[in-house]
Amino acid sequence: MSWWSRLGNVFRASRLERELDEELRFHLDERVRELTDAGMPADAAVAKVARRFGSPLRWREQSRDVKLLPWPDAVLRDIRLGLRMLRTNAGVTSVAVLSLSLALGACVAAFSLVDALILRPLPLERSEQLVYLAFPTYNAERPEAETFNDPTLVRLRDAARGKVDLFAMSTQVMRPAIFANAAGTKEQIRTQYVSGDAFDRLGVRPALGRAITAQDDDVPGASPVAVISYAFWNRRFGGDPSIVGQWLTLEERQLQIVGVAEQKFTGIEPGRPTDLWITYAMYNPRAFGNFDFNWFRIVGRVRENVRFEEAQSILQAAFTSLRRDFVGRLGPNASPERVERFLSTPLYMRSAGNGPSPLRNQFEQPLWILGAIASLVLLIAGSNVANLYLARTAAREREMALRLSIGASRGRLVQQLLVESALVAASACALGLLFANLAAPIVVGMLTPADDPVYLDLRLDWRALAFAGSLMLLTTTIFGLLPALRASGVSPLNALKGGGRPGTRASAMRPFVAVQAAFGLVVLFVGSLLVISFAKLSSVNPGFSSSGVLLLSLDPLRGIEKEQQRLGLQQVLERLRSVPGVQSVSSAEYNIIGRAWTHYIRIPGTTLNTIEATMAPVTAEFFETMGIPLVSGRTFTTAEMNARPSTAIIVNEAMAALYFGNVPAAGRTLKARFGPDSDGDVQEVVGVVKDARYDLRKAAAPTVYIPLRLNSSGTIHVRVSGDPTSLAARLREEVRAAHPLFRVTTIREQSAIIGQTLLRERLLAILSAFFAVVGLTLAALGLYGVMSYSVVQRTREIGIRLALGARQLLVVRTVIADAAIALLLGGVCGLAGGLYLARFVKSLLFEVTPLDFWSLALPIGLLFVAALVAAALPALRAARVDPVNALRYE
Amino acid sequence: MARQDALQGSLPLLVLTLLARRGPLHGYGLATQIETMSDETLRVEEGSLYPALHRLEEAGHIKARWSTTDTGRRARIYEITARGRAQLESEEIRWKAITAAVGKILRLA
Repeated sequence: MSWWSRLGNVFRASRLERELDEELRFHLDERVRELTDAGMPADAAVAKVARRFGSPLRWREQSRDVKLLPWPDAVLRDIRLGLRMLRTNAGVTSVAVLSLSLALGACVAAFSLVDALILRPLPLERSEQLVYLAFPTYNAERPEAETFNDPTLVRLRDAARGKVDLFAMSTQVMRPAIFANAAGTKEQIRTQYVSGDAFDRLGVRPALGRAITAQDDDVPGASPVAVISYAFWNRRFGGDPSIVGQWLTLEERQLQIVGVAEQKFTGIEPGRPTDLWITYAMYNPRAFGNFDFNWFRIVGRVRENVRFEEAQSILQAAFTSLRRDFVGRLGPNASPERVERFLSTPLYMRSAGNGPSPLRNQFEQPLWILGAIASLVLLIAGSNVANLYLARTAAREREMALRLSIGASRGRLVQQLLVESALVAASACALGLLFANLAAPIVVGMLTPADDPVYLDLRLDWRALAFAGSLMLLTTTIFGLLPALRASGVSPLNALKGGGRPGTRASAMRPFVAVQAAFGLVVLFVGSLLVISFAKLSSVNPGFSSSGVLLLSLDPLRGIEKEQQRLGLQQVLERLRSVPGVQSVSSAEYNIIGRAWTHYIRIPGTTLNTIEATMAPVTAEFFETMGIPLVSGRTFTTAEMNARPSTAIIVNEAMAALYFGNVPAAGRTLKARFGPDSDGDVQEVVGVVKDARYDLRKAAAPTVYIPLRLNSSGTIHVRVSGDPTSLAARLREEVRAAHPLFRVTTIREQSAIIGQTLLRERLLAILSAFFAVVGLTLAALGLYGVMSYSVVQRTREIGIRLALGARQLLVVRTVIADAAIALLLGGVCGLAGGLYLARFVKSLLFEVTPLDFWSLALPIGLLFVAALVAAALPALRAARVDPVNALRYE
Repeated sequence: MARQDALQGSLPLLVLTLLARRGPLHGYGLATQIETMSDETLRVEEGSLYPALHRLEEAGHIKARWSTTDTGRRARIYEITARGRAQLESEEIRWKAITAAVGKILRLA
C-alpha cells in the first residue's frame, strides 16, 4: 500500500477501524464455532478464545498504526479534540480570537499597504534594470528635481547610447478630453506624454491595436496618436474593441486612439494609474530645444552587462558638459557661487524597479511606523492569548496528568496543546484577513484628497497570504509554546493527588503582564507624540484667514492676444465682485500654499549675501481676500498695477527684516530685477504685510508681492460669506457669463488645500491613536484576566488570612502586589524603549519632543488609569471573599 | 512467553511459506494451519498474527481482498505476490543460515 493510500486512510479512519474489527471478529467467531462444534458450552468457548486471542483492541490499534500515517492521524485527532475544547470554552476562545484577529488584521493591512506602495516591483520584465534621473536643486522646499528639458534628454540619450536606453515620461496630469461618443462633454482624464520608444523599452505590449512606436516620435506634431490603458478601456468604454481608430479631442487637439495597453501596465507610478498616453512629439512645440521648459521625467533601462556605476558616470559627464553649454542662462547677474553650483550639480541615477513615486516619498516613513506599531499591538494581543492559555491549561492539569501516567509522551501533549493554539491563531488569521481587506482601502482613502484619488492594488496576493501565514505560525509558537510546556511539565503524582500550585501558575503570567505593559506604553508613547504633534500643527496660524476662501483655476487660454486676455480677466473679476455673498475677489499667479518661484536678491552692503525671496504676483485686492493684515503702507494702486515697467512691490515682515533690518521698510527702495516685464532696477516698497506661511511646518519665507500681469490666468481667489460650496456653482456660471473664453476647471476650498498638506500627519495621528486605544484595551483586559485568575486561585489562601484576622486592605494589597511589580517593571522598560524609538519619528514631529511634560504625562497617565480600572474589580472581589465559603471550597 | 517471542520473528516467514504452498487463505485459516502443522507447538497469541499480516500487506509481499465464505460471512483473503515470493526465498535462505549457525554452536560449544 502506498504512502498516498495511507494518508487517505487518515481521513477514513472510522472505515478502516470497522474493517479491521470485522476481520478480527470473523477469526474470533470461527474459533468459537470450532470449540462449540466440539461440544464446549458457548460462554466457556468464548472465554477460552478470548484468552488465547489477546485483546482485539490492542491488535486492532497495532494494525491501524500500520495502515495509516501515524503523525497526520495524531494531528487530525488533536484538531478534533482541540475544536471540542475550544467550543466548550466558547467565551474565552472568542475573546482570544477577536483580539488576535484585530491585531493580525492590522498587521496584514499595514503589510499590504507597504507592499503595494513601497516594496512591490513594477510588473515589467527585468524591472531591476529600470532607472530614473534626478538632481538636487538647492531649494529648501523641494530639494530634488526629477523633471528635465528637451535639450538635456537629447544630449544624455546620445551620450548613453548602447549603455542605457533613455526615454521621457512626462509628469502625469489631469487634462480635459472630449471623446467621440460623449456628445461634447469634457472629462478629466490622466494623461502622460511618452517617448516613442518608451513602450518598447519598458517591455509593454498592446492588448489591442498597437503601442506608440519610435516612428511616432520622429517629427514633432506629425503623429497624433494615443494609447489608452486597459483599466480605462474597461471602465470608460466597457472593453469595446471598436475604440481603436476612434478620435478624441484633448485640449483643442485631435488625437486618434491606436491601441490599448496590456492589462498589467498602468504607468510607472504606483498609486497613480494613467488613462491615456500620447507621443512626446505631440507636446507644446515651445518645449523642444528649450532649456527652460522642464516637463518630463527621464527614465531608462540599463543594458545587460552594463554596470550602474559606468552608466552613471557617462550620464554625469554629459550632464555637466550640457550645463557648461547653457551656463549663460543664469544671466549676467548670477553670483559666482551660483554659477559654480550650477556647473557642479551631480546627476543621480536611481533604481526605478518599483516605480518612482512622490506618493511613496511622502508616505514611506509613516507607513513603516504604522507597521511597527501594529506589530507591537500584535505582541500585546499575543500576550493576552498566552495568558488565556496558561489559565485554561492549569484547569486541565488532571487531564494532562492522567495522560502522562498512562504513557503519553510529553512531546505528544505539547503537540496537542500547540494544535489548539494553532486553531485559535488560524481562525484569528482568517478573521484578520477579512478585517485587513476592509481596512486597507479605508487607509488609502485617507492618503489622498478626493479630487485626485490614489488607486493602490491592494488585493491579498500570495505575498500577503504568506506574510499572514508566517505571522500565524509565529504567534502560535511564541505564545503557545510556553503555556504548552508548562502544562505538560506537570508531575502526575502531584496533580492526581489533587494539590494545585496556585502561586506558580499566576506567577507564570507575570512576564506576560510585564510585556503587555511595556509594549502598551511604547504604543501609547509614540501615539501621544504623533497626536500632540498633529494637534499643534493643525492649530498653527498660517498668517491668513483660510476659511471661506474659494480658489478657481482657469483653463489656460490659447489663441487670444495678451491685451484681450487682460481685459477679459478684468471683466471676470468685476463680474464676480457683484455676486451676492462675495466679499472680495482677487487673482494671484500661485496659491499661497502652492508652488511659487524664487528670486535671489542681494542684500545691500554685502557682496555675497543673498536672500532667496519667494515671488508672488498678485492683484491689489489679494491681501483683503486672503485676510492678510497690512502692517504699514498700502496695497497697489491701479496705476501701479498697470505700469510698465512696474516698480511697486509689497514685502512681508520677514523680507523687510532681512533686507532692511530694523528700519521700517515702507517707502524705501530695493535693488532687484524680476524679469523682462519689470525691467526697472529699483523697486519701491509701497507696503509691508504680515507673514503668511508657505509651509505650515516652517516659518514664513521672505516674500515679495509684485503686481500680477493679467496676461496669465493664474488662480482667482474669492472670499465668500457663508458656506463656500453653495456658491461654487454660481461662481462658475458667472465666469462663463462674463467672458465665453474663460472656463473654470476646478474650484477648491482653501481650507481643504491646507488640510491636504497635513495629510501625512493626520494619517499618523488617527491611526496611531486607534492602535494606542486598541493596545491599551488589550493590555487592560489582560491585566484584568490575570488578576481575576489570581484571585480565584488564591481564594482559599485569602479566606484563611481573613479568618485569621487580616485586614481587607492587606489582603487586597497582597493580591495586587504581584501584578503591580510586573506592571511597573514593564512600564519602565516600555518608557525606555519608547524614548529610544522616538528618534525614528522625530522627523515627523512638530514642536514636540519626547521629553516634554505632556509627551510623558499623557501615556503614563493613561496606562496608570487603565491599570487602576482593570484591577478594581478583582481587588474588590478579593476584599469581599467570605472566609467561610472560601474554606469550604475544595 | 519465550516461545511467542521466537515465533514473532518468524511469523512473516511462516505466513509467506503457507500462502505460497497452500494458496490464498484468510487469517483464521493461517492460524489454524500453523497450529496444526506444527503439532500445536507454535501456538501464537493469535491476535498478533494480524498486525504481522497487515505489515506484510503494507510491504507489498501479500495482497488482500474481501471475499464471502460458504457460510455467507465476509472474510479477508490474503494471497502472496511476486515480490512476496522473492522475499520468501531470501527469508528462507536467511533462516537456514541462522539455524545452521546456531546448531553448529550447540554441537561444538
